[in-house]
Order: sequence, then structure tokens, then C-alpha cells
Amino acid sequence: MLKKMKPGDLLPVIEKEIDQARILKWAQISGDFNRLHVDPEFARQTRFGGTIAHGPMSLAFLNELMMECFGRGWAKGGKLLDVRFVTPIRPRDRIRIKGTVKQVHGAYIECDLVVEKQDGEKAVIGRAVGLLEPEGK
Amino acid sequence: MRHQEDNPELVFADLPVGRTFKPLEYPVTPKLIQDFIETVGDHHPLYDEGLAPPGLAAIYARLSYLQDHTMPSGGVLVKQEFEFQNPTRIGDTLKVQAKVVESYLDEKERKRVNFLIEAKDQKGMPVSTIRLYAIWPK
Repeated sequence: MLKKMKPGDLLPVIEKEIDQARILKWAQISGDFNRLHVDPEFARQTRFGGTIAHGPMSLAFLNELMMECFGRGWAKGGKLLDVRFVTPIRPRDRIRIKGTVKQVHGAYIECDLVVEKQDGEKAVIGRAVGLLEPEGK
Repeated sequence: MRHQEDNPELVFADLPVGRTFKPLEYPVTPKLIQDFIETVGDHHPLYDEGLAPPGLAAIYARLSYLQDHTMPSGGVLVKQEFEFQNPTRIGDTLKVQAKVVESYLDEKERKRVNFLIEAKDQKGMPVSTIRLYAIWPK
């Protein structure tokens, strides 16, 4: 959990490996069985050339980072803003969920967020505002 | 969870401004949370104290407008915003309601649809507000 931050500080980095099994599990919990995600044969014939991960899974990863940083100050009062999917995440991608403190307004911390692929390509970008919990909590 | 792919497609003509979808009842069961945590790999200790992962909103937001439909291929989620007013607890049953707040053809004749989605818990307390900005495929 973050205790004190200033603009330019880096947030902890979360790393994930994406595989088809994880994509299938997301389909099962979300009900989104679009063949582009779960049917490699079908997906190979689309413009993507293979399956891609569900976009909302990346939102769950951003939330994971924000929970790690803010805990209760994310679950009550957190804001995920201007989130955009830039490029698809595919099976065998290794992604890093990262952030940088942009501004500090009292206990409110505004961050730039990015989900980055192994080659540094940005897959998802966005901003967030979380609330630092008081010391000792 | 039932496959949405068996449902008819939700097309642009179904999405006039003001359309309000029936509320989605979304039970936040221990099994759902366990599956979510394992899938995402997010093992925050507060989940052991009964807090539900806020990232669940990414799932119920989409379900709120696709309860009886499937999403046509080729759409683009341009932008998304989530605001969490109150924590969701494991065992809560959320009511999630989506409304079309904008629906228009842009200057390039693309079909733009913007949703406002609000989730409340079983006591009527606001849990999250979600704004989705999409380009609809057909």
C-alpha cells in the first residue's frame, strides 16, 4: 500500500503471462465466448490472425494495481478514467501493468497507467485517481 | 455462465438515446470471486475479509446491456471510465442498469453509442458508475 507519493514516482509493477487457458477462464466468468477470443481456428482467419484477450481482463489488471496501491481507498472513491485499448493482447504475451504518479491533491493521487507488452508496445492506457489511506490503517 | 453467443445480436438500431435496459441482477457469490481471483491472479488480502475485487465491474458493465443479446463482431470500445462509490462485499447482489446516453453517426458515418451504467447493492447504495464509449459495428 502506498503511504506517501509525489509526482513522477513509479507505482509497483505487476507482471502477467497471458495464455489461452487464462482467456478461456475469463470467458467462463464473464460469459463472453466470442470466437475471436476462444476459437483459435476461427481467429486465425480474422484480421487479428489469432485469438486475442478480452479487453475487460485488462481493466481487471488495472484494478489489481490500484488495489495494491490504494486498497480501501480504491474500493471506495477510486476512479479509472479515459481508459483506451491501444493494441490487442494475445496468448504468449508477457505484460506489465505500470503507473506513474501525475499529481497529488492532498490524499488524492492521480496516476497515469499503462499495460505494456514485452516489447514495450502499449496495449492499454488510462488514468486513475485513488485515495491514500491514513497511516496506521 | 450461459453463452451469450446463442442470443441475437444487439445492433445500432436497437440502441436509441434513452433506451434503458432492464436491471441486471448480479449475485457476487464466493464461487464467482474465487474464480475471478484465480483468473486474474489478484490475491489482495482484503478479499479474504469479504471485499469483492472492484475489477468485477468490467464484467457486470458489459453484461448489463447484453443480457438478452450478443455483441456483433467488429465493435470498438473507444473509452471507458469507472467510478467506485462504495465497496462491493462478497454475498451482495448488485442491480446493474445500463442506459444509452448518446447514439449517433459521427462525421465519418461511424455508429457511436455511449452508455451510462450504474450499479447498486441490495440496499440501494451506489456501488459504481461506468461510462462506456463505443463504435458499434452494425
